Amino acid sequence: MSLPERTQRSGRGGRLRVMLSVGLYMMFHDKAKLVGTVVGVVFAVVLAVQQLSILFGLLDKNVMFIDNAGADIWIVPPGTDKLQPGSPMGNGVLDRARATEGVEIAEPLVFGGASLKKPSGGVEGVTLIGTTYPSFLGGPWNVVAGSRDALAQPDTVVFEDSEREKYGSLDLDSVRELSGRRVRVGGFTWGLLPFGPAYAFAELGLAREITGTPSDKMSFVLVKVRGGADVEAVRARLSERIPEQSAITRQAYSRTVVLTLLRDQLGASFATSTAFGLIIGFVIVALSMFSSVLDNLREFGTLKAIGCTNWDLTFLIFGQAIVYALAGSLIGLGLATSAAEGIRGPKLVPIVPHLVFAIVPVTMIVVCLAASTLALSRIRKLEPGMVFR
Amino acid sequence: MIAVQARGVSKVFGEGALAFQALAEIDLEVPRGELLMLAGPSGSGKTTLLSIIGCVLSATSGALELFGEDVTRLKAKELPALRLSSIGFVFQGHNLIASLSAVDNVALTLRMQGVAVSKATARAKELLDRVGLAGKLSSMPNELSGGQRQRVAIARALAGSPPLLLADEPTAALDAKSGLVVTELLKELNRESGVTVIVVTHDNRIFHLADRIVHLADGRIVDGNPHEGT
Repeated sequence: MSLPERTQRSGRGGRLRVMLSVGLYMMFHDKAKLVGTVVGVVFAVVLAVQQLSILFGLLDKNVMFIDNAGADIWIVPPGTDKLQPGSPMGNGVLDRARATEGVEIAEPLVFGGASLKKPSGGVEGVTLIGTTYPSFLGGPWNVVAGSRDALAQPDTVVFEDSEREKYGSLDLDSVRELSGRRVRVGGFTWGLLPFGPAYAFAELGLAREITGTPSDKMSFVLVKVRGGADVEAVRARLSERIPEQSAITRQAYSRTVVLTLLRDQLGASFATSTAFGLIIGFVIVALSMFSSVLDNLREFGTLKAIGCTNWDLTFLIFGQAIVYALAGSLIGLGLATSAAEGIRGPKLVPIVPHLVFAIVPVTMIVVCLAASTLALSRIRKLEPGMVFR
Repeated sequence: MIAVQARGVSKVFGEGALAFQALAEIDLEVPRGELLMLAGPSGSGKTTLLSIIGCVLSATSGALELFGEDVTRLKAKELPALRLSSIGFVFQGHNLIASLSAVDNVALTLRMQGVAVSKATARAKELLDRVGLAGKLSSMPNELSGGQRQRVAIARALAGSPPLLLADEPTAALDAKSGLVVTELLKELNRESGVTVIVVTHDNRIFHLADRIVHLADGRIVDGNPHEGT
């Protein structure tokens, strides 16, 4: 008689299934530890997604005007990397833009600060946008009361609805003083609150008057290309014809603003807070899984003694880590999106992009797998002979 | 046919001034189908010898053959497969997986060997029936008495039909009656299947069930007379 053949009839896949199954049984047997670990992952996901959703919301605040102005191409002062007016440009820029092949509409946009006098005597700042009737390149949009056509009426301004109380119980047809000019309220928008003062919209001439912009000057030129025209080609032609300014597509301008904000202001701050969330999750999962292994050291020793290899137990631990990651991600994403909806308001609109739903589980799997290596190192060092001690 | 042959097996733990010789030049032959008991006081080296025979501990020197195969020549990564296919273990504390039911604990070895779930479960049920636990298939380890757990452990050890079964103090955590029942079960299975059984014990109430008793003291075999306990 000799020893039985030592072939693995089921191959690695069969062993993998057995180990995953044992790992799941072990997880669900210790429910307190299971709940504790999943809560750790949930906490990390909620913290990270909440930070990201606020970051995306803040970034959106900074590019919402660019994205909603209705222009395919912006002509901006050279070196512009934010939505801020630089040196005003003259009518010549506008004329050359209008004469460029492929351009359907080119309109001036005035962008400046103004002070609204409240009935109580105080003042509130607004970001006044001078737009052209009837193309309305540059807004207003999201009009929830009144009409943007009201801007065709003399001395009419559209304000932000969520700031009405702040402006002193503003209503339709209310009359207020805006930078010393009496204006009438023609409508309200909703949610047009950038980082700075809320947007208010007036017809170009009125806006120039209020902001002190000369009648032949403008902050930007907004361009809409003809249907079927290649936007990039039109942009290139505009660059050629207007070399002293910068022609940039809407998407590129939006991307530039986002990258500038991430690089200069928001990136480090939000990356730090998001990383803290992930680190907290990592630590909780690592400690919990390590503690679970210590609690069950004898069982792991037994598994080794009866023939499990280190690879088998690696599958077991990795399987547990992946289940923790997926369960925590699912619950965490549900909570984070509910929280985002709960705190959604005109001043802050947290945004959870669809991509987050794919990235978060993958990230948490990586985090949990990394966290499980502490437990795994203990198991790999475990001598099967310990079961006889 | 020799099931286990140890020649000059020594084991030293630690190094230098802290070195401790647990086994010294052990020569031992266990014929196939024998039920051997290793007896001796605590610290005599019987569990160390069992661990070396079970390939969960390597000898410092000497050679060990199991069923004619020199296992001391095997690489460390080859040993788990050897243990899975050829050696059944019964531990002092039963060492069942707490999260698995009795039948799943027994089926685990078979499933690791690649047996399909349905066949593994059927075989596990047969074995549990054989050890008198047909009514406890779905019981979790913490729902079983100490004797019942040890019987599940025996069923698990036999599940893969190993030619060698090693038991470390299987009665230590049991009362006298349960201990005797468990050892008698080992003896019955030894007779029925011809499995070679090596039991480490210092429980003289079960000595009469041994074919042979080997006494160890200070890491050496001091007596190996057959049927000493009967």
